[in-house]
Amino acid sequence: MQHRTIASVLSIIPGLGQFYNRQWAKGLVFLGFGLSFFVVFYDLLNMGFWGIFTLGTEVPRDNSVFLLAQGIIAILVTCLGLFVYFLNFRDAYRNGVLRDRKMNLSSLKEQYRNLVEQGYPYVVSGPSLIILVFAVIFPILFSVALAFTNYDLYHSPPANLVDWVGFDTFAKIFTVDIWRSTFFDVLGWTVVWTLVATTLQVGIGILMAVIVNQPRLRFKKFFRTILVLPWAVPGFVTILIFAGLFNDSFGAINNDILAFFGLDPIPWMTNEAWSKIALILMQGWLGFPYIFLVTTGVLQSIPDDLYEAATIDGASIFAKFKHITMPMILLAIAPIIITQYTFNFNNFNIIYLFNGGGPSVPGSTAGGTDILVSWIYKLTLEESQYSLAAALTILLSVFVIAIALWQFRRTNSFKEE
Amino acid sequence: MKVYIKQLGIYSIIALFFVLAACGPQEDSGEKAGGEQEGSKNSEYDLLVWEDVEKSEGIEDAIQKFEEENDVTIKVVEETYAQQIEKLRLDGPAGTGPDVLTMPNDQIGTAVIEGLIEELNVEEDITSIYTDVAMDSQIVEGKIYGLPKSVETTVLFYNKDIVSEDELPETLDDWYDLSKELTDGENFGLLALFDQIYYANSVLSGYGGYIFGEDENGDYDPSDIGLNNTGAIEGAELMQEFYTEKLFPSGIIGEQGIQVLDSLFSEGKAAAVISGPWNVEPFSDAGINYGVTKLPELSNGENMSSFNNVKSYNVSSYSENKELAERLVEFLANEENSKVRYEKTKEVPAVASLADDPAITENEAAEAVAEQSMYSEIMPGIPEMNSVWDPADAALETLATGKSSPEEALEQAVETIKGQIEANHGNDK
Repeated sequence: MQHRTIASVLSIIPGLGQFYNRQWAKGLVFLGFGLSFFVVFYDLLNMGFWGIFTLGTEVPRDNSVFLLAQGIIAILVTCLGLFVYFLNFRDAYRNGVLRDRKMNLSSLKEQYRNLVEQGYPYVVSGPSLIILVFAVIFPILFSVALAFTNYDLYHSPPANLVDWVGFDTFAKIFTVDIWRSTFFDVLGWTVVWTLVATTLQVGIGILMAVIVNQPRLRFKKFFRTILVLPWAVPGFVTILIFAGLFNDSFGAINNDILAFFGLDPIPWMTNEAWSKIALILMQGWLGFPYIFLVTTGVLQSIPDDLYEAATIDGASIFAKFKHITMPMILLAIAPIIITQYTFNFNNFNIIYLFNGGGPSVPGSTAGGTDILVSWIYKLTLEESQYSLAAALTILLSVFVIAIALWQFRRTNSFKEE
Repeated sequence: MKVYIKQLGIYSIIALFFVLAACGPQEDSGEKAGGEQEGSKNSEYDLLVWEDVEKSEGIEDAIQKFEEENDVTIKVVEETYAQQIEKLRLDGPAGTGPDVLTMPNDQIGTAVIEGLIEELNVEEDITSIYTDVAMDSQIVEGKIYGLPKSVETTVLFYNKDIVSEDELPETLDDWYDLSKELTDGENFGLLALFDQIYYANSVLSGYGGYIFGEDENGDYDPSDIGLNNTGAIEGAELMQEFYTEKLFPSGIIGEQGIQVLDSLFSEGKAAAVISGPWNVEPFSDAGINYGVTKLPELSNGENMSSFNNVKSYNVSSYSENKELAERLVEFLANEENSKVRYEKTKEVPAVASLADDPAITENEAAEAVAEQSMYSEIMPGIPEMNSVWDPADAALETLATGKSSPEEALEQAVETIKGQIEANHGNDK
């Protein structure tokens, strides 16, 4: 029998393969890992795997949500364990191959040096990777798992058990009338909101930057400072102040500005359509300074030769803008624009702080201006519809990821890298 | 060769799963059952009590007495009472939760469905000392889940420098007339937040409107919503008058309205406001010479209703000492300790006999609360209530701003509420 076979077979018990290869220290490490894995994690794995399959069988003894969490941790821990187990096999097999070829195995010292020199990045980033798994991957898995349960007010611990229901929750979103109509209403407005509000803020930003950057304009610094001010005030403060200004009954916009022009007060907060318009205007105000700043930077880096050449060729101002300025700007800030779109898609603050997603609409479980995130927030905190909210979160993430990927791939600025 | 190793790996993984999956439940049940019999893990105290913020001095003496009588140690921690249930959800299973806690009655329905609080086996002679309204708020589907600690309800504060006690209008219509006299754009008569269902229900329900109807067992029937019946519409029309006649300042509508109302009264610009006992101190601090009385009568002879907020002591279902915890609840909520608590915290107790006690009748605000409590109703504690607030407030706000007629607005609100209830609570029950 070849050494590699024996070493691999012996590695079923971690470390034995290394012992067979006479690498005692390494073998001990693997054996130690193997033993301590079971000693330390026995309870967790025991409860976790049982829990994630059954989600509890008896009330009030079993708390389904905790069992689910434990189960997911158990799976993550098992994956880590299997990875080490795999390393153990690979190591035994490789060293077995070396022995079969009658080559010398590395001594303990060399192994250590190998680890430090070649494996250095892994050694250093290992701990943070493990933290990342529990701080990022675990919550994602947990909320994904919740979407496949029936966890809501009537199925919550400790009085009741949560059960796996497969795709029922997703089916509910698309088959139950009130949920379906709410979902598509909210999704529709979310898309409109994202497109219109972001385009508005980007448009204003670029326009302002181009205007302020005109060579003939004086007091450039003054205008720049003024235009950046909206960005300097914390967003939530601006939103709350605007909420006061837009207030139907005592807001300055109705009472002073519109009244000055002799116009009737507009129901900014209590009418769906006007609320939407107010939100889009506010986001334009909040969002343009950033684009303005970035664009100003880009404009200053466009070489003057281009414009001079264009002038000699007799190009009009608009032709110059269309063929020189715009392409240069878009090339440089396209990734920033895309992130602005994804940011607004999930722009919870402005929706929630303005009028809480209101006004309420008949035949809908969301408010008239609720976007997907704020609706999910309401479902979770006000209606205890945890599984539904989790399912919506998945749909939302799929949507955002798909669009972001598609956009990024189409963008020239990334192709050139 | 590699294939061989792969197979090995797969087999060992399968073996591992078998080993793990086989031993789950049985051991677990043994383990946990054993754990419970050990009794209190904590050697520091036998019972943990979560009391409302700044209210623990009210039960200090009672706790001490209970400790001596039963030879136990009790730890009292202050937590915001409206958030205690939320904290219990996490602290309970973690073993750091309280044995006795306090909460507002509108959370009891949810807490019972989730199984967070324990049913109490109290006798008739204990429950009978409380006012019916207060006690009813602690009963879900015929079972008792807590004992009332205090009641709070909205009352009328009036400025004695503007309206004297003798010529105080008795009905809402009289107030309406007085308001017309007093209102000049700077000063106002009676102010109320009629654009919020919490306050508007006082009028709606006086004319026969209701949020949820009751079935024959006295439980709420969420399919029966009476916010758009003829009585409710009559009430809504009356309330709309106050707005259309500009008897209320425009700023009083909406979420910020409560600040406008409080400040107008504190500045002496409003003759009267409908507000709660929480304003007793702020108004005194503002130097207003005010009186407190029950809400006025309506044109049909009914007194204006109001929502009763009952705070209660309840036993956590995570408690390991439920019997002792229940005895402590009974002890804290008994007549004697309720009175001591009232004297120290000024929260009006729910014990019926104390309503005539000099300690309460001497205090105008407490007496007004006690008197108004007789005309008040419980805020529905069922989870469906969550779906009522937003649509109802939105409808009342469109009424207040005059953008729609009462029928239209209330009809739409009820439709919205019904839809939300069906979606959130419909098929799961």
